[in-house]
Amino acid sequence: MHLLHVFQSEWLKTRRSLASWLVIVGGLFTPIVIFLARMRQPKALPIVYQTPHFWQTVWNQSWESMAMFMFPMGIIMATGLITQLEFKNNTWKQLHTTPQRLSVIYCMKLFIVLLMLLQVFVAFNACLYIFTVLPVLLVKGVAYPAATLDWMLFLRGNVSYFIDCLPIVGLQFLLGMHFKNFLVPLGVGFLFWIVALTGIQWEYNYILPYSYPMLDYLVNTGRKITVNGDIHTFSMLYFGAFALVGYAMYIWKNDKG
Amino acid sequence: MYAVETNGLTYSFGAGFVKRTGSAPSVLHNICLQVPKGSIYGFLGQNGAGKTTTLRLILGLLRRQQGSITILGKSFEENRIATLRDTGSLIESPSLYAHLTAVENLTIFQKIHQVPTKRIGEVLDLVGLVGTGKKKAGQFSLGMKQRLGLAIALLNNPTLLVLDEPTNGLDPNGIIEMRELLKHLHREQGISILISSHLLAEIERLVTHVGIIHKGQLVFQGTLPELMMRRDQNSALVLETSDRQSTMRLLEQMHLSPVLEANAVVLPFLPKEIAADIARTLVQNDISVYGIARRSNDLETIFMNVIK
Repeated sequence: MHLLHVFQSEWLKTRRSLASWLVIVGGLFTPIVIFLARMRQPKALPIVYQTPHFWQTVWNQSWESMAMFMFPMGIIMATGLITQLEFKNNTWKQLHTTPQRLSVIYCMKLFIVLLMLLQVFVAFNACLYIFTVLPVLLVKGVAYPAATLDWMLFLRGNVSYFIDCLPIVGLQFLLGMHFKNFLVPLGVGFLFWIVALTGIQWEYNYILPYSYPMLDYLVNTGRKITVNGDIHTFSMLYFGAFALVGYAMYIWKNDKG
Repeated sequence: MYAVETNGLTYSFGAGFVKRTGSAPSVLHNICLQVPKGSIYGFLGQNGAGKTTTLRLILGLLRRQQGSITILGKSFEENRIATLRDTGSLIESPSLYAHLTAVENLTIFQKIHQVPTKRIGEVLDLVGLVGTGKKKAGQFSLGMKQRLGLAIALLNNPTLLVLDEPTNGLDPNGIIEMRELLKHLHREQGISILISSHLLAEIERLVTHVGIIHKGQLVFQGTLPELMMRRDQNSALVLETSDRQSTMRLLEQMHLSPVLEANAVVLPFLPKEIAADIARTLVQNDISVYGIARRSNDLETIFMNVIK
């Protein structure tokens, strides 16, 4: 019961925050861009919508920008914004003088970040479906896709990409909780993303913690890329390690507000 | 029983702090604070004396290095959560979520303290912030922010209130309102209040007990009357007469230690019976007495004397 109240308290802080707007934008952006691109060539749509692997194509198209850029950047920014809520408003001291365990504060904040990530996935999937179906209503001659919507493909893909994103969440959360200056997590996050991008063809690419959404996407779309390790296992190990180190740094921080 | 008791509290910031801030390390030396239960304890000191560091240590915002902290009769470290349940605090500038309204800010803490929702309305009423509606806390004036900070501190019906310079940035009217509110809380609800300030006039009109900290050391601790006694001891008797030279001579014959000033003769403070004797003697020696007055040091002077 107490945890539920703590959750409600933490969740209320995200109301009208920049991070909550980022969730909406993150979910909407790619589906809208793809929708607008389709609407520029309406004559081709009736054929495209009847291709046998229509949903698979839509899924892969949509994840191209999400996996390579939008998700890593979105997580870097949103996680920073969530943790910065306390620094920016000078509220750590008030939060740390409330009767709750430090472990509860830490875990609940991490949970909120993960929940917001989940929100982006839900929003993204919903928008993906809506903006894919919208031309059926708007463009004459475009029928509902003949191919069956493979829900399991979507679900498996979502779970897989969600796990891929965990190391980014873990490290960004660690940095965001520790550094008052927003630029530190932002800069480090951007640097790790660049490293992941440039090391994507490296034989040990699976050890780069920010590379997993990219690797997952490239492997799933049949690109020529070799991954010599189980990225999901590495992903979870990294997340666990970052979360634990972050917790230790938080607990042992001398100045709590 | 003490609401707050520290024993040998010693603290120093590390080299990192000095490097970051470019200032000398702030240090507390052997602070033995004793805040009696039910008192309003004024914690006085100049900027940088160590007031905020002490209060942050008391609330667990800084890691204790040496000494012990007891709050409401229990060791703080061993009973952190139970202690914080009975404590309200406002440390330096108010901690508010700028993108949320007053009610939303209070709801955040109401959920954690698990107090009834109607308590939000009560504390808003108490601090005079009813009707702020959808206005965001970030748009509040500094006075309103301070009052909302106080409302958050009062939300859990605390038995101990720790306030660090709560009148900072308030206009004179706001200072009076804050003082009256604290007096009301103390009187009606019996809350123990530990309040730090460098505004000496504030302390004089509000507190029952005083502690003075200077350069990390507690240089005075006692009741307000004890501090007042020091004031009396440091006050003087000022005589305005028709002939200052004769007055000096006469007083010296009475084995007193007069000091000649530009328009008066000044004596160390004496009981009123002796003052009457002096007046009588002067008149008997044909010296007209225009005035006898006590020159009192205000608290500011006492404070400066204590920290010298």
